[in-house]
Amino acid sequence: MIEDDGHYFCCNGCQGVFHLLNESGLERFYEKTAHTKLSPPTLQHDDSAHFDSPAFYERYVITNDEGFQEVSLIIEGIHCAACVWLNEKALHQMDGVIEAHINYTNNKARIIWADHTVKLSVIIEKIRAIGYNAFPYDPSAQELSANRKRKDYYLRMAVATFASMNIMWVAVAQYAGYFTGITQDVKTILNVAEWVLATPVLFYSGWVFFKGAYYGIKNRVVNMDILVATGALLTYMYSIYITLNEEGEAYFDSVAMIITFVLFGKFLEVLSKKNAADTLDIMSKHIPSEVSVIEDAQVVSVNVNEVKAGSVILLKAGEKIALDGVVLEGEGSIDESSLTGESEPIYKRSGDTLVSGTTSIDAVLQYRCSKDFAHSTLSSLVALLENSMRKKPRIEQMANRLSEHFSTTILLLSLLTFLVWWFWPHDFETSFIVGISVIIIACPCALALATPVATLVGLGLGARRGILFKEAAQLETMAQATVLVLDKTGTITKGTPEVVHVTVLKPFDEALLFSLVSSSNHPIAEGIARYLSLTAVQSLDDVEQRHAQGICARSGGKKVLGGNARLMQAHGIEVSVESQHSLFYFAVDGVLYAVFELRDVPKDDSAHAIAAIRRQGIDVVMLTGDHEGSARHIAREVGIDKVHFLLTPEAKAAYIQQRQESGDRVIMAGDGVNDILALANADIGIAMGSGSDIAIDVSDVVLLNDTLESLSEAIMISKSTFSLIKQNLGISLLYNAITIPLAMAGYIIPLIAAISMSLSSLLVVGNSMRVRWSIIK
Amino acid sequence: MDSWVIAMMLGASLILGGVALIAFLWGIKSGQFDDKEKFLNAALYDDETELNDAAEQERKKKTLQEKNYRPE
Repeated sequence: MIEDDGHYFCCNGCQGVFHLLNESGLERFYEKTAHTKLSPPTLQHDDSAHFDSPAFYERYVITNDEGFQEVSLIIEGIHCAACVWLNEKALHQMDGVIEAHINYTNNKARIIWADHTVKLSVIIEKIRAIGYNAFPYDPSAQELSANRKRKDYYLRMAVATFASMNIMWVAVAQYAGYFTGITQDVKTILNVAEWVLATPVLFYSGWVFFKGAYYGIKNRVVNMDILVATGALLTYMYSIYITLNEEGEAYFDSVAMIITFVLFGKFLEVLSKKNAADTLDIMSKHIPSEVSVIEDAQVVSVNVNEVKAGSVILLKAGEKIALDGVVLEGEGSIDESSLTGESEPIYKRSGDTLVSGTTSIDAVLQYRCSKDFAHSTLSSLVALLENSMRKKPRIEQMANRLSEHFSTTILLLSLLTFLVWWFWPHDFETSFIVGISVIIIACPCALALATPVATLVGLGLGARRGILFKEAAQLETMAQATVLVLDKTGTITKGTPEVVHVTVLKPFDEALLFSLVSSSNHPIAEGIARYLSLTAVQSLDDVEQRHAQGICARSGGKKVLGGNARLMQAHGIEVSVESQHSLFYFAVDGVLYAVFELRDVPKDDSAHAIAAIRRQGIDVVMLTGDHEGSARHIAREVGIDKVHFLLTPEAKAAYIQQRQESGDRVIMAGDGVNDILALANADIGIAMGSGSDIAIDVSDVVLLNDTLESLSEAIMISKSTFSLIKQNLGISLLYNAITIPLAMAGYIIPLIAAISMSLSSLLVVGNSMRVRWSIIK
Repeated sequence: MDSWVIAMMLGASLILGGVALIAFLWGIKSGQFDDKEKFLNAALYDDETELNDAAEQERKKKTLQEKNYRPE
């Protein structure tokens, strides 16, 4: 604890931030934090010069109409409203910053500044100085237009809801008058009021239907929009005629209600549409923007984009590899799990190849870059990914297919009714009213609500169980899946090696072994530490990590060894080496005490869940980058008979495409970067919540609790949602089958028309609620 | 006679409601509901300093804009 003039700080970082805030007069920040606990500021980076490079400007910076620069950033470290306040204020105080707007909900910031006064690097340094971090993202055109569309719908919904609610009050008076008597002049006043209210609903809120109808006619498809638009417009015109003629019943309320209800259904769909992911930006965040290149025996930092093939790059321990290459000098372990899914690090030495996107655990080496950044494995993976996201197959929703036939039938029936009535000696007016009443009564509200309401129920059920569907339409697609493709590591298995067998040769001090393995962050050592699950750590001397061998240390004059057979042999200890799993030996002073067998084991519920999924009639296939032995072993344990092994990320995606071409609908579940191509290609991509950010981004469903049990639940939920959709559509069609003949016969009076409108919608909503309760039970 | 009362009442309430609706639409359009967290915490950002800050930003923008158009 540091004391400074009556204030207490946990570290120098916090103290530094405090003084910085005081100097800028922003100490009120601490009043606004309320009970939020602050964490110390993070490490400083030294890559800010990169933010001023022309390449960066070209990609992320926009110059707006007024000649100012604009950038979108994601601010890291925001955990309360005070953080937002602090960042905005700190930026506002800078010379040249015109606007800094931070969205608290998604931590995205938009900053407008004058480039001749202040540089972006200075702005980002400021954000970092007060303890946050910022990295740029590319607000894709897709995301912007999705947001604009959503806002547009909000506006239209607001107008429609306001007007319909008010029309309802007026309509109550109308219906009361219909039964108890009303003078014509009062009726006309009410009609005019309804007219005023219905007009913005039809022409502003309902504009989307006119637009949809226009495109429908243009493409020669009779869609639901045509039915809604013609029905509403005809009713509206007829009602104006009634109002002006001061005779008969006006139906402005029906106009407003149809538009509002159907718009509500459309709005639900828009809301549940998946937001375009900032996938690539998150990906580039994990890639170092600069690498250390050795030029003329000197180390210089070079932007990854400017590194040419053939350059010699220095790789430090813990660093991500940005470019493909071949090791020249040095050795060490590389974590390739992000690409292969393989949890065990791979030992690389001179002559071995390095792949971009992987991480050095302890390797310090020099490598010759073999491809430039744009052609490196990671970049080409991203390119492939973008491509497959665009081409993703979409199953047309059932309601859409149905509505086409429905709309055509209704329009024809209405025309037929009109003609029959007209030739069956009736005057034009009566025949026209009856014809229109068919359209009004065949209110597509229920049909339009059938799918959104059902999917909403499904989404809610999933969310409760930690299953996040990113888009409502995916429930329908998922219900029709025939194949489930599973990744091995991290999806079926736990992804980390676990001790499966221990041979104790002589009793030993567990605490000593625990201290030894705790000194390493190698997955095997971590697996043993988890197995022992002790807490007390003894102090060891001369701890030495041997690459690809193990750990050596001294404790009270004894030499302690823990590692693989090679380590033991190097110290003259004879061990047997035969096992299909990883072995860890523990020896003290040249005597072997214990042997641990470790391997990646399936999650506890995997076998059970896979059996449940197969019972639902879905073909389960396992794809893995791992070798045959361990792939078959795991598959046998969990009961999968179709296994494909030694697959590259591209091969996994190709397998999925091949299944799709043969007519299957494919669900793919995975967690790593090595699965993203396959996830993006599948009809439904499912990511584990603990998986990599990119995998979560490209997938359609996220399982927050990482279990296959919830995967099986997700399939169940999608199936019951789909049957609910079918039921709802059935109800609305049945409803129409009863009311339309009545309308054609001319038995529809205004009250029935109005009641039927809400009743059919209520039935659909009520049925959805019923299913919701039955599933919960 | 009575019908004019109804007409007046209806007209007055529709105009009042319409004003509220327009205010709401303006709120949506100007992005006041975009960030629900910030919206809920609005009380924290609603004092004199915030106003001064906003005015200061406006002023800064103006001077910088003039600088932008100054011939080099």
